[in-house]
Amino acid sequence: MLTPAEARELARRVVALTSADQAEVLVASETSALTRFANNHIHQNVAEHDTIVNVRAVLGKRVGVASTNRLDEASLKAAADAAVDAARVAPEDPDFPGLPESAPVETPDRTRESTRTFDAESRAHAVASIIEPSAQLGLLAAGKVRAAEHSVAVANSLGVDVAMALTGAQATVLSMGADAGSGWASFLDSDAANLAPTALGREAADLAARSANPGSLDPGTYPVVLGPEAVSDIVDFLAYVGFSAKATAEGRSFMSGHEGQAMMSELISIADDALAPNSLGTTFDYEGQPRRRVQLIDRGVVGQPVTDSYWAARLGRPNTGHALPAPNSFGPMPLNCEIAAGNATVDELISSVKRGVYVTRFHYVNVEDPVSVMLTGMTRDGTFAIEDGKLGRPLKNLRFTQSAIQALASCKGVGRERRFIGAEENASLVPALLLGTFAFTGQTE
Amino acid sequence: MDETTATALQAALDAGASYADVRVVDTSTENISVATGVLEGVEHSDSFGLGVRAIAQGAWGFASTAEVTPASAADAARQAVAIARASALVAGSPLTLSPVEPAHGTWTSPFEIDPFAVSLEEKLSLLISADETMRAEAAVKLTKSHLGFRRQHWWFASTEGARTEQTAVESGAGIVAYAIADGEVVSRSYPNSHGGGWQQAGWEYVLGLDLAGHAPRVAEQAAALLAAPYVEPGTRDLIIDGGQVALQVHESIGHPTELDRVLGEEAAFAGTSFVTLEDVGTLRYGSEHVTVTSDATISGSLGSFGWDDEGVPAQRDYIVREGTLVGLQSSRESAPTIGRTSNGCMRADGWNRIPLVRMTTVSLEPGTWDFDELVADTEGGLYVETNNSWSIDDKRLNFQFATEIGWEIENGKLGRMVRQPNYTGITPKFWASCDAVCSPAHWRVWGLANCGKGEPMQVARVAHGAAPARFRNVQVGVGR
Repeated sequence: MLTPAEARELARRVVALTSADQAEVLVASETSALTRFANNHIHQNVAEHDTIVNVRAVLGKRVGVASTNRLDEASLKAAADAAVDAARVAPEDPDFPGLPESAPVETPDRTRESTRTFDAESRAHAVASIIEPSAQLGLLAAGKVRAAEHSVAVANSLGVDVAMALTGAQATVLSMGADAGSGWASFLDSDAANLAPTALGREAADLAARSANPGSLDPGTYPVVLGPEAVSDIVDFLAYVGFSAKATAEGRSFMSGHEGQAMMSELISIADDALAPNSLGTTFDYEGQPRRRVQLIDRGVVGQPVTDSYWAARLGRPNTGHALPAPNSFGPMPLNCEIAAGNATVDELISSVKRGVYVTRFHYVNVEDPVSVMLTGMTRDGTFAIEDGKLGRPLKNLRFTQSAIQALASCKGVGRERRFIGAEENASLVPALLLGTFAFTGQTE
Repeated sequence: MDETTATALQAALDAGASYADVRVVDTSTENISVATGVLEGVEHSDSFGLGVRAIAQGAWGFASTAEVTPASAADAARQAVAIARASALVAGSPLTLSPVEPAHGTWTSPFEIDPFAVSLEEKLSLLISADETMRAEAAVKLTKSHLGFRRQHWWFASTEGARTEQTAVESGAGIVAYAIADGEVVSRSYPNSHGGGWQQAGWEYVLGLDLAGHAPRVAEQAAALLAAPYVEPGTRDLIIDGGQVALQVHESIGHPTELDRVLGEEAAFAGTSFVTLEDVGTLRYGSEHVTVTSDATISGSLGSFGWDDEGVPAQRDYIVREGTLVGLQSSRESAPTIGRTSNGCMRADGWNRIPLVRMTTVSLEPGTWDFDELVADTEGGLYVETNNSWSIDDKRLNFQFATEIGWEIENGKLGRMVRQPNYTGITPKFWASCDAVCSPAHWRVWGLANCGKGEPMQVARVAHGAAPARFRNVQVGVGR
């Protein structure tokens, strides 16, 4: 793969190849490897190296995009020409403000040598350690151990010229028993040395053993304690359908017309902050603009949505630096969301519930209505009744159909420990939450 | 290309592989989208590379590279073998592959007009026409029109002597109208939601869709949905249109009958299956009206090819016959677990991914009903069209789908429009409640270009033949 300096040089070179009024080039170079296991053994084990060059060409207010992973001179020139050709026939967008100019960007070192050297043999040993606690309990473990390194560079003809590298190490484990119990644990960090595989495997195995022989629960609305994995799904969908300036301007977001209004519990504060010291992603967006901290929800009050150069200009707002790669039909998107920590342990959250449900994580969540963020999905890998303030009997997986906004409005407690969930380029930092009302509308068999 | 693939295979054998295969894949795509009168994107992309899969010490390894030269192919092969040796440190039972005659030949999907040869001006003109037509409806505040084209050229070779070369050309298109008012958003799509319609075909497929011709109806229905009521929660007889039946088949029959899922190999990500190996030949999956095939030979379907990515010939196989589970979708590695050889379902998403058991064209075979007669035969119920959202549990039992639009059925006639009706059920009970499937005249193949599976994520292009079908006593209006 390319180093950040090489990616930056390549981006500059392709900008120079482009015969447009303005040109922008994004170079994304990656080497990654993933060891996958199931039934207590490795069954898939893959590695890849790839570099993608994405060219955005501008002719007046006409824009075209082309990309290639062929890095020879002729192919790069062909991609540059294809972008210009596309721009030439594109209709004018009167709102297109031109490419953004250079802005100062901090590029902290978010790479770790231990992740670069986390090779197939090291990953196999980690897998063996993850599996061991499940095997000892007669359970079956499945999951992955992954290591990746990225170099990202953006250059444009107006002087944007940034590059950064980052690494990510990831591990997940699902532990399953013959008696329908299952448990889950996950790890994400820039540093593979921080992976404690045996402890991770034990967390999932213990949860699986504890959730054996699950029972039924009548459909209805219950207080619920969501573990961080489950909370991350809710935050991800808020980001996907709600936190964008585009969705807000188009009236498709819960934020539309509600900025400055309280819509959630005052215990809920959500920010997007790629600059936080422990953040994992790049500190600039795919236009090379600095990702600024954005307070999306401030103690329950709707803050501002994230922007990119197009939507900032169109709406007369500051550019918060949340562009996705061009062309981008989604609009700007926050990729580093975090919920502010509270002061309770998970046990304390559970102890305040007389009769409710604990959810480790969700499965296959989808949006039924974007404005209310009406979500449906299933629980999995550790769902329990909460009875008299204690984790009680395990439950079969439950279906929920619930507005995320209403659920967060009913928040009664926030965990103090937060975890990164997701992948290094798009990770949420989230705590456990106690929500007062959560509608379970069905149950599996 | 022969020199590159031969070099890779020899390097794998020299490194100690007992088996290896190599795929070189060259993919070009073009995507054009217009949103509310503005060009949202026009993009051309190319991706070219090779991947080597190897068995060493009884375990799998895979490595890929975007450099397609004999030297880099050899490097990738040696890396694949080294990875396989690492896999062997935590190995299961030694791998065995079901036998297959080494494949030789070429295959090309059918198309009449090369979509990459059609000018951008003509493509934009078609989209803008549809877009303007939808925006003539005042309540429609947001519109989206999309064209997509994909050409994939790929070579496969194995140490068993297989050598194939294949080319597939795909075209897709769709429009969506969003009516927005007072904090409420409803959408209406054509010819399908979530990316529109897709076929292995050329520009002629897009012309045949007549996007602009359907735009007025799409916009009018979107506007009407804003004022339509939600369906009353309860239990209703449900007639589902072909497009939603296709997705129902996809989620509740296609995925649970993938043999790798049944074996637990996808447990940690997409999940497992309620189906067990012992169920083949005995499980009552649905009523006698439910017959499901897996067929990679349907001309023009997104799920068709000459050989799968293990060199197994395209074929048609029964998964459910008159309600009984009779087969599973398989690979060379998994098929022996049910005492069979592979039925050719291994497909990879490009050069940098391994093949997985993926759907080809998994279809609910047509019945005998005329659609109008089916409605007339339904005393009270609901008719629903076009998927809005989907969700199903990790064993593929408990599902919930929302659709864009529905109409109440009263005394055998379509009546009042209802908004975004959803329904839920448990897979085998739901399919057991199927008492009618419409005839071949109403049956067609629906292409789905967005089926996700595997880690790293792979997006497969699959298809489903389906016609409208009726299901009795289904729970609707969940959470409303």
